[in-house]
Amino acid sequence: MSVITTPAPRLPVRGAQARQAVSPMLKRLAAERATGVLLRECGSLYLSEGEVVHAESPRSPGLDVLLTTGGILDSEGWREAVDTAGAGLRVGRFLVDSGRVARGALELCHTGALFDAAYFVLGPSSAPAGFRYGAAHWLGPIRPVPVATVEREALRRRDLLHRIWPDPATDDAPLIRAAGLAVPPVPARQEAVLGQVNGFRTAADISRSLGRPTFHTLVDIRRLAAAGLIATAPSNAYEPAAGDEVSAPTQPWPLTVTDPDIALLQRLRDALEAL
Amino acid sequence: MPGIDECLVEAMRLPGALGAAVVDWTSGLALGTVGEAPGGDHETTAAEAAELARLAAEHRTFAPEEGSDWSGAGLPVEDLIVSNRDTYHVLRFVRTTFDSSVFLHLWLARTDGNLALARIRLGEMAGRLVLA
Repeated sequence: MSVITTPAPRLPVRGAQARQAVSPMLKRLAAERATGVLLRECGSLYLSEGEVVHAESPRSPGLDVLLTTGGILDSEGWREAVDTAGAGLRVGRFLVDSGRVARGALELCHTGALFDAAYFVLGPSSAPAGFRYGAAHWLGPIRPVPVATVEREALRRRDLLHRIWPDPATDDAPLIRAAGLAVPPVPARQEAVLGQVNGFRTAADISRSLGRPTFHTLVDIRRLAAAGLIATAPSNAYEPAAGDEVSAPTQPWPLTVTDPDIALLQRLRDALEAL
Repeated sequence: MPGIDECLVEAMRLPGALGAAVVDWTSGLALGTVGEAPGGDHETTAAEAAELARLAAEHRTFAPEEGSDWSGAGLPVEDLIVSNRDTYHVLRFVRTTFDSSVFLHLWLARTDGNLALARIRLGEMAGRLVLA
């Protein structure tokens, strides 16, 4: 019996972009135990003695949104905490010490938000990054995370999304529901996302209104896209008036698929192109 | 008031505890870990346990008769138990007042572990972790 000694050819993977190092600058800053803020195209990452203490991105809901949407705190309570403890850079501590938020709850919520924003901050970017030494965030440290962990997690998250559905188009475009298909029952958390899809909201908009980390929404959106239940809205989608609650707008073929066979073919094509 | 680390340390005091983690089941992120992990890798363990937790949490088969969702008064699933020849895994979902998908994962040696006790204690820890 012969033994195969040549290695299998490499399977086609995502483009070189996905494989590049997250940020060489960040590695250096961690090594020198720097304190300050890393400013990148999609947000900022706060370091304290070389560890990540906070991250924020316009694409990711802030801690205030996450806490107030669930009702753990009202916006008045949040403002009061920022007014009282913001100048002393210890809003996180104040929220816990004043009994507004349990320490465990704050740690879970903030750590989740940190990794969520960091995913976007450390996304592929062509713009140069900057670092402001000495800058600190007014929340104060809550649960510092090593830089290497944050970087590894950002890469793992990219791979996770890619494995669910390889086309990233639905990550930042306005979304529409695929009309004409009988919608099979979807899990409750996906249903909440689906209920927010209206032809002009993006994943970030949906996350803000649900008070949910955007990466969580991206996971559900990729699953819904894989199931053929949502797609990106055409770029000429009409803009609804402010406050106008719109259900799925009707779009001309081929962007609204009414024939399941055509939908399947389009999804196959998109998937092949995205490989 | 316990934070993530205190909660994990407390879990490790249970008889037979080998390792514990707080994991987010949507992303597979380990928010905190302590002790050992099967295969020595907490991050892989978290990602794999998250897959199992997600299936249990999402499928209606495992939800109570009257139904419930993550925003309501109760969780659709309280805990999951996996046993093998030498260890137990207990996954306990954590109910939070903000939108989340978090569970506690406790890994127990079968020779010293007390599954009933671990299940009760983990439930108490999950409650204390998020209550002010």
